[in-house]
Amino acid sequence: MTDPALLQPRREEALQRASSPVVVETRALSKTFQIAQGTVTALRDVNIAVNAGEFVSFVGPSGCGKSTLLNIIAGLLPKTSGEVHVHGQPITEPSRKMGFMFQAPVLLPWRNVEKNVLLPAEVYGLKPDAVRDKARSVIEAVGLKDFMKAYPKQLSGGMQQRVALARVLTYEPEILLMDEPFGALDEFTREAMNLELMRITQSAGITCIFVTHNINEAVFLSDKVVVMTPRPGEVSGIVDVTLPRPREIRTMHDSAFADLIFEVRNRLGRHIQT
Amino acid sequence: MSESPLAIDRAARRRSDWTYRLGALGIGLAIIALWELLPAAGLINPIILPRFTSVAEALYTLVVQPFFMRHLIVTLNEIVLGFVIGTLLGLGIGIALAVWPAARRLTYPFVIGFQATPKIVFAPLFIAWFGFGQTSKVVMAVVIAFFPVLINTMVGLESVPAEARKLMRSLKATPLQVFYKVSFLHALPVIFAGVQAAFTFAVIGAIVGEFVGAQEGLGYLLNLYNFQLRIDRAFAVIVILAAIGAIGFFLLEWADRKFIFWREDRTP
Repeated sequence: MTDPALLQPRREEALQRASSPVVVETRALSKTFQIAQGTVTALRDVNIAVNAGEFVSFVGPSGCGKSTLLNIIAGLLPKTSGEVHVHGQPITEPSRKMGFMFQAPVLLPWRNVEKNVLLPAEVYGLKPDAVRDKARSVIEAVGLKDFMKAYPKQLSGGMQQRVALARVLTYEPEILLMDEPFGALDEFTREAMNLELMRITQSAGITCIFVTHNINEAVFLSDKVVVMTPRPGEVSGIVDVTLPRPREIRTMHDSAFADLIFEVRNRLGRHIQT
Repeated sequence: MSESPLAIDRAARRRSDWTYRLGALGIGLAIIALWELLPAAGLINPIILPRFTSVAEALYTLVVQPFFMRHLIVTLNEIVLGFVIGTLLGLGIGIALAVWPAARRLTYPFVIGFQATPKIVFAPLFIAWFGFGQTSKVVMAVVIAFFPVLINTMVGLESVPAEARKLMRSLKATPLQVFYKVSFLHALPVIFAGVQAAFTFAVIGAIVGEFVGAQEGLGYLLNLYNFQLRIDRAFAVIVILAAIGAIGFFLLEWADRKFIFWREDRTP
């Protein structure tokens, strides 16, 4: 696999660049929904801080509000109370500094891989020629060089999600928000995607906020794992993942990895009745 | 990407396609045989059902008549105009109602009321309003052709997946960008199904209009031959109308394959 300019090591640079290292911050963030039966508290008093270049995962059972939190940070959903800041600015609407990745690839079936990847640039009103080289190098970086002109339905689920990753990376977001992006993939594909995501975001110095209910994945990818509890969604604890980078598949067989998994599971377990 | 199981699958499907095609051909031939033999054997009065060969003969003698071209062109003109205007009207109103919810809520009872009315009842009125010429037939064709396009445009535009909308929202796309980059193309397969129905309806509209009152056109000819008890020629006109419907259908089917290549059930 070739390493285009995108993949130059920029992590250290990104960490140093920010005068204040905190990129995303929530203070006393709460969210309630009105439903027919009354009020549901999806998030209560969430305080988190994500530093530049950091990879932070949110894990928790379904209904713990982790997706809601991500959508609020993305500016796709209004908060009820509290504060959300990105680079010190309150967030009220989507920002082009942030890229969002969904559980489904959400590709447009009438566009080939290249055209799908160019969609954000088109929406931003950029000339396709100005970003075509960039798009091609990102498509290459996610391993789809030979599928540039293929249509989504000709691709497997994993390949489609690679296209979605390339699409979000092409416009060089500073922050990548991912809502269970590999949740629909089989275990092997998920592992491959994890490695690829880590390689690309680390070298490009992208700050990542990742939502999952897969503990392995969360620990493997992250610098910090935020454990959340359901109804109301609250932060039950933050586990610092001190495993050295670069990480590889065999990192998962380290005893340190197993200890971290145990710690996350422990924090989750207190709140899950089976 | 495993290629061979797919290839085997495709070959099997093609083989069964041919089996079905041969079967359909067999049924067609059987119908023609009965059509020929029953009147010939005296089991059916030829006034009710003329023999297949006499219909074929009547078809030939009809199409070589100089006046035939005139009637054919009049009807084709009504069908094509009714189809095109009806499609554009359905598309325009459908888009307007889909993107403007207040308009949809205001007009929905009338849309439903109009849909529930058998449009054919308007045919005599249109003759009174627009005369015996082609206009009344075109109006009739428009009125019944635009409806499937209208409904399918609304349904198609409303069924855009929430995630695609969310993607566009995360990119801060304008409503216009959402419409022409996502919603319209997403709705296109459904809209096109409505357009195909519109063609069939335009044929019905033009012919019904001609039945009710006309001095030219294939519907007029059909009525005339019926009154004259020249049933073989009446059948010949029906065959021509069936051919017009079939040709239109296959042209639209071809356009659908060509332009809406991303349909789920289709391999590019």
